[in-house]
Amino acid sequence: MQEPSALRKILDVLEQDGRMAATARVAISAVCVIAVWQLVTLFVTNRLVLVPPIDVARALVREANDGAMWTNAVATVTAVGISFVVSVAIGVLLGLSLASSRALSLTAGPLLAALNSVPIIALAPLFIAWLGLGFASKFVLVLLVAVFPVVVTTETGLRATDRQLIEAARSFNATNLQVFTTVTFPFALPFIVSGIRVAWARALVGIVVAEFFGSFAGFGFAILSASQTFDTARVLAYVFLLGAMGLLGTMLFETLEHRLAPWRHE
Amino acid sequence: MSGDVRLKIENVSKTFARLGKPSVEALRSIDLSITEGEFLAIVGASGSGKSTLLRIVDGLLAPSNGSVKVDGVPVRSPGRDRAMVFQQDALLPWKTVIQNVAYGLTLAHVPKPEAAKTAQRFINLAGLRGFEHHYPHQLSGGMRQRVNVARALAVDPKILLLDEPFAALDAQTREIMQTELMSIWQETRKTVVLITHQIDEAVFLADRVVVFSARPGTIRDQVKIDLPRPRSLELKRKVEFVSLVDRIWKMIETEVRASLEQNA
Repeated sequence: MQEPSALRKILDVLEQDGRMAATARVAISAVCVIAVWQLVTLFVTNRLVLVPPIDVARALVREANDGAMWTNAVATVTAVGISFVVSVAIGVLLGLSLASSRALSLTAGPLLAALNSVPIIALAPLFIAWLGLGFASKFVLVLLVAVFPVVVTTETGLRATDRQLIEAARSFNATNLQVFTTVTFPFALPFIVSGIRVAWARALVGIVVAEFFGSFAGFGFAILSASQTFDTARVLAYVFLLGAMGLLGTMLFETLEHRLAPWRHE
Repeated sequence: MSGDVRLKIENVSKTFARLGKPSVEALRSIDLSITEGEFLAIVGASGSGKSTLLRIVDGLLAPSNGSVKVDGVPVRSPGRDRAMVFQQDALLPWKTVIQNVAYGLTLAHVPKPEAAKTAQRFINLAGLRGFEHHYPHQLSGGMRQRVNVARALAVDPKILLLDEPFAALDAQTREIMQTELMSIWQETRKTVVLITHQIDEAVFLADRVVVFSARPGTIRDQVKIDLPRPRSLELKRKVEFVSLVDRIWKMIETEVRASLEQNA
């Protein structure tokens, strides 16, 4: 037997399942990205094109100190938060109705699929023309991009429910409502959460685009105005914040998925 | 054991209509009377409508013809006087063992403490003590079937319906589960209808074995099993046992061949 190499040992530690190993993996990839970024800025010296990571950190601190970041954060987070929650609610309701009626699913399904494949983001200027620069246009845009993944996964989850489980519930004399609350809905829940996870990422894209086209505050607005003054560090600072929001949401919903359906992951 | 008729199946037929295809006659004129406390096994080639009959008795399916009566009362839907043990994977994966066993009681709005107490009793009976808070995916196939049996018994049915309960288990586990089912039955004295492919399982467990013909299912023959109780696994090597299994196998063999040709 050959003694495993030091590299192999490190890889073995990193391939483990625990929280420590996961944190170590994330840390390593973050360090790698920053190192490569730093390296590239040594060769790309035009600061309009690229700034080193430290400048972005400084821009973040500056924005936080003069309060601009908080104004923008409040604008973006409230707008995307409200629109996202409403999208999820509407998405689940639509998914429920599609799953409960075959006729409806067959009639409305293709229409929804067609709408889903249209790049709705491209309609942003139109929505702003129709609904003005306020909350309404942001709301509609986020809703339209975020609702579909939830609709699709809700319907899929409800329809995918194991027939045996439904039959067993019926055998115990369960009412239709009891079959729904004790079998089909819990079965669909992890599916729905995975739809919500995708919806969150799309909602962030929706809000930034909406803010590009028409608003006076928010991360999208800040990115646009910074880029117009060629302040690349500030642009990247806000991109970083959006990335953090996306990552946090994804992690939250992934954990939730695992919690809700541990039997699928073991 | 009294000789009262607990379950009466009268002239039951079932034909499945299929959209755009010829309909399938699954069962034809089944007549069966099962007395209180009797252990009845039904064997037959696959596709002989055994499971269909069990679902009709449970109330999950309506017969095309005829009737099913429990203590003289016609069956129209599932009810607490009958409980079914399914082949496999009919446990709720997001509920623990104790929650699964209490499931039927919860659906019937039995108060929580009472449901938990009853569930615990049947968990002990099924040899699941210590696994109350495990999830089904953490259990072996044999353990999961014990939970299935405990869940059915927990609603205190008059009739226990078993749909090939051990078919998905390996041969050794199956034998152990048979003896466990036997001792549970001896303790609870339920009326039992067991559907199985395993002739030796039917002979080992039952008071009477009903042999179904190939599709459409009819009763081809009935064999009374007079082997003394309590029975142990050694019985399976005794001549009386083997000759009974052999006799039933010969009846089924022709039916299996017939159904093979049907499906060819």
